[in-house]
Amino acid sequence: MSRGYYSRMRRTTRLADLALAQPPRRSQLTEGLRARLGEVVPSLHLIAEGVLGADSSIDFVGVEPTGRVVLIFIGEDGDDLELIGRAVAQRAWVEPRIRDWIQLAPNLGVRPGAGARAVLLCPSFCYETEAAAAALGSEAVSLVRYHYLQNRGDLEILIEPITRAASNESTPRRPKNSDTPPFRTGLSHEDLGLTAEEYVEFE
Amino acid sequence: MPRKLEDVLDYFLPGAGVPASAARANAYPGEDAQPTHPAHSDWSPDANPRTRTDRPAALPIIALPIGDRDVVHAAFAWNLAVEFARFGANATLLAPADPAAASLWPPSGRGPIGAELELVHATNLRELHRAALDLAVSRAADAKNGGVILTRVPPAWLNGMSDGRALLRWVLLFAATESKDLRETYGLAKRVLQAGPTPRLGITIHGARRIEEAERAFSRLADTTQRHLGHAVVSYGLLMDDLHIYRAIVAHRPIGLEHPQSRAARALRDVARLLLEDAQDHALG
Repeated sequence: MSRGYYSRMRRTTRLADLALAQPPRRSQLTEGLRARLGEVVPSLHLIAEGVLGADSSIDFVGVEPTGRVVLIFIGEDGDDLELIGRAVAQRAWVEPRIRDWIQLAPNLGVRPGAGARAVLLCPSFCYETEAAAAALGSEAVSLVRYHYLQNRGDLEILIEPITRAASNESTPRRPKNSDTPPFRTGLSHEDLGLTAEEYVEFE
Repeated sequence: MPRKLEDVLDYFLPGAGVPASAARANAYPGEDAQPTHPAHSDWSPDANPRTRTDRPAALPIIALPIGDRDVVHAAFAWNLAVEFARFGANATLLAPADPAAASLWPPSGRGPIGAELELVHATNLRELHRAALDLAVSRAADAKNGGVILTRVPPAWLNGMSDGRALLRWVLLFAATESKDLRETYGLAKRVLQAGPTPRLGITIHGARRIEEAERAFSRLADTTQRHLGHAVVSYGLLMDDLHIYRAIVAHRPIGLEHPQSRAARALRDVARLLLEDAQDHALG
């Protein structure tokens, strides 16, 4: 079931006079969609843009309120099948690095064990891309269509999630032991061998 | 000799102790203002260790227990090596060539301004000690301005008495201020002391938002180590965490070159200076 969102309209009493329009150039496209990402992933906290990941760049990296990392990829018409492959690869590249990110920037809100998911924004998705996304599951990949519309001289963006709405997908994975950062040293409590008296010194 | 964080705060807070302009004298190339501290009150250009001592037979070795995935402490180690190089000293960081720890380091070899990363095949403390010693001797021959061999020791190798325990004669631990981190650092100190005689166990605090927080963290560590392990630790100052340090890590660029005027870079430089000063007394041979 699809549900579309129109960007906030200027205050006007005139009826909308919409027509499909060509998306703008890549830089404007990215800029325009960046302003709308909060509608795709509610309360998204963007932490990076144009991140070089596994051999290519991730358009946006953000964090959901749950602490899950969200990788956002923007494609143009016909890019979708290639983009879903890249998204899967980048997600696989990012997940083992989340522990390092938490060490580097513990205040970003990234939660160990919450994992990462990818969101793809394209004007359209072919059947194979949709099938691949469905096979992967919405915990891994979500698809979102965007359309540029001409409205009495103004360009508007229509955002249309075609998988289950992201807002319903925010339940985090149960933390896996392997995701939970151990001590920086990699040692366990047993390895450190603190006595009860020593332990309470640092309460 | 025990040394508290307060004893070295004038490095990090000019004006808090000895006036920086009066107390700091040029000691290393490229320095326009050098600090001193009470333990070195006779510091002067004439007392420059480069000219007052003969070249040692081997450079001192500082062991740094750093976990396989501890990118932050590894970055501190590499950045310290770069700071040593900025002082004109020989700066070599030695680490076991371990694929599990590959993400810790930049490419091996000579890096920015001569700082060098050496990855060696070593599977235990004894082999690592042998490699560190070889390096300490070979680098001493070229170290006109002194230097230090920083050696990353996998914490798992600190598991009781070992033939390589001589590597642990001078150990530096990085400690963040959270209780969990302090507990871990203390546990690491305990393992180090159980593994072998460690005349000098130093602590550098990081992650503090305020000076008082750093002082409190250091005191807790120092007091507990003294009380339970009967060992005095010395302070090697504090590293101020700010965004620059993370950005430099992500960019794989030493912070001293990327953001030389940042608070983090200056603090790192002061830690390097403290270590180099003590290195004068710990040259081998």
